[in-house]
Amino acid sequence: MIQENITEEEAKVYEVLKQVPDPEVAVNIVDLGLIYKVLKNDKAKTLDVDVTLSTPGCPVGDTIIQHIQTVLENTYPEHAVLVDLVWEPQWNPDMISDDGRAELNA
Amino acid sequence: MQVGLSTKNAPSVWVVVPHFLIGTVSFLVASLFAIFNYQDLLGYHISGSVLSIVHLMILGWVSMIIFGALYQLIPVVMQVKLYSEKLAIITLGSLVVGLFFLIAAFLGYKFQLTNNFIVGGSLVIFAIILFAFNTFKSALSSNEKSISKFYIMASGVYLLLTVLLGLFTVINLSYNLLPVAHTEFMKTHAVIGLVGWFLMLVIGVAAKLMPMFLIVHRTREALLKWGFYLINAGLLIIFAVTFIKQVPEFIDVISFILIFIGLVLFLLFNYDVFSHRMRRKLDIGMKLSAIGLIMFALTTLSFIGTYFGNSAFGFPAGRIEIISGLLLIYGFFTGLILGQTYKTLPFIIWLFYYQKLVGKQKVPLVADLYSDKLATVHMYSFVASIVLFIAGLVFSIEIVLLFAAVAMFFTSMVYGINVYKMIFHKKIIK
Repeated sequence: MIQENITEEEAKVYEVLKQVPDPEVAVNIVDLGLIYKVLKNDKAKTLDVDVTLSTPGCPVGDTIIQHIQTVLENTYPEHAVLVDLVWEPQWNPDMISDDGRAELNA
Repeated sequence: MQVGLSTKNAPSVWVVVPHFLIGTVSFLVASLFAIFNYQDLLGYHISGSVLSIVHLMILGWVSMIIFGALYQLIPVVMQVKLYSEKLAIITLGSLVVGLFFLIAAFLGYKFQLTNNFIVGGSLVIFAIILFAFNTFKSALSSNEKSISKFYIMASGVYLLLTVLLGLFTVINLSYNLLPVAHTEFMKTHAVIGLVGWFLMLVIGVAAKLMPMFLIVHRTREALLKWGFYLINAGLLIIFAVTFIKQVPEFIDVISFILIFIGLVLFLLFNYDVFSHRMRRKLDIGMKLSAIGLIMFALTTLSFIGTYFGNSAFGFPAGRIEIISGLLLIYGFFTGLILGQTYKTLPFIIWLFYYQKLVGKQKVPLVADLYSDKLATVHMYSFVASIVLFIAGLVFSIEIVLLFAAVAMFFTSMVYGINVYKMIFHKKIIK
């Protein structure tokens, strides 16, 4: 995870996002290191997520984004969910967590 | 901002899927033909039945799947939409009808310009021109500067040269326009087709897909760049000298060495990718692809054998060329296609059925759309078939070739069942 200083609520969002797998490798997007930022503002009722993809041509890219959107809207119906696709910093395999590595080769 | 997403650029399922269906049927029919004509492999290598099997495999199976897969992969490799889906459908129709006439012409055993050759050849050429145009227009609208794109664009040019040379060979046989032996044209037709069209395309696509599927980030792209220069130089020399009557032998040797080094560089690139992969455990698609690449290494070795000639091995005329062709078409191309089918076809089917349902309902994974067990079965029968084919050819044993042909037909049937399962998938909502 590259985001630092996250709140307890944002940590919960990361846990929710573990429901979203990359359909090709069957590992969740949090452990793959694809989530760069989660900002949950309970006053403004907004939930912003920055996500990246392993490659710009990823064949299931917008399916993953749609999945994130749906899961978050279902879990936080009061919040306006905004999922942003970002390319900086460029994703690399070092961003995969230990759990993700284990799952990848299970 | 959701730019560069290939799903938004993905072609319709109706463009891609028929290619896989027709390709699979061609593989089945070609494998069945081989059971009834396996003895021809030990004989004179330009028999009508061998040519019909080769063209059914090359045009009906390998080209068909490559066309379909490339329409799906253009958005992944070049990050643009396919230029025209209508053109892709017309291309498919022209290729299928043309192939039908061409196979009928080859089965007729007449090496003259028969009507079936004219109709079949013209339709295949028309299809290929449309395909090359569609690929080129897509590539030109892409800002990608990757080496993959240049390999794919070059392969389109060689594809055109291949079919034009094939047609010219047949015309020259009938009308004797150029005083060059038709075997020279046939040799260039085969080399430009196999190395220029197929290998360049496969290298271009593999350069993008192998690191993507195996999760490798830093690849040795310089190997591919040098490979691109060397293979092109070798092919252009071969093409140019075809039209010269007396060619010094060293020119042939130079072009052979240039292409050989280029292909070895591609193998080294893949070895590096496999060595540095994050995804250590290979799924069935990647296992089959890896087997295909091993077959390619063997093909490259057998190319050296063709240089030394059949007598050096105590083989009858044409045997080492048959072994090379078999390793390339049945071994490398077929192995890679069997594997990459599981990395492309289930995706487009999965996206068609489940894209709108993700997150709302529990949906299956992409790998749930086919049987892993069936794929494993045809992986073993495929390897067994290749081993038997090579053994039968090296030791000239007909019965072994029959077993090899039966094993390849079994492979095509089991693969066909899995393709059927994917294409006619029934939506699963858990």
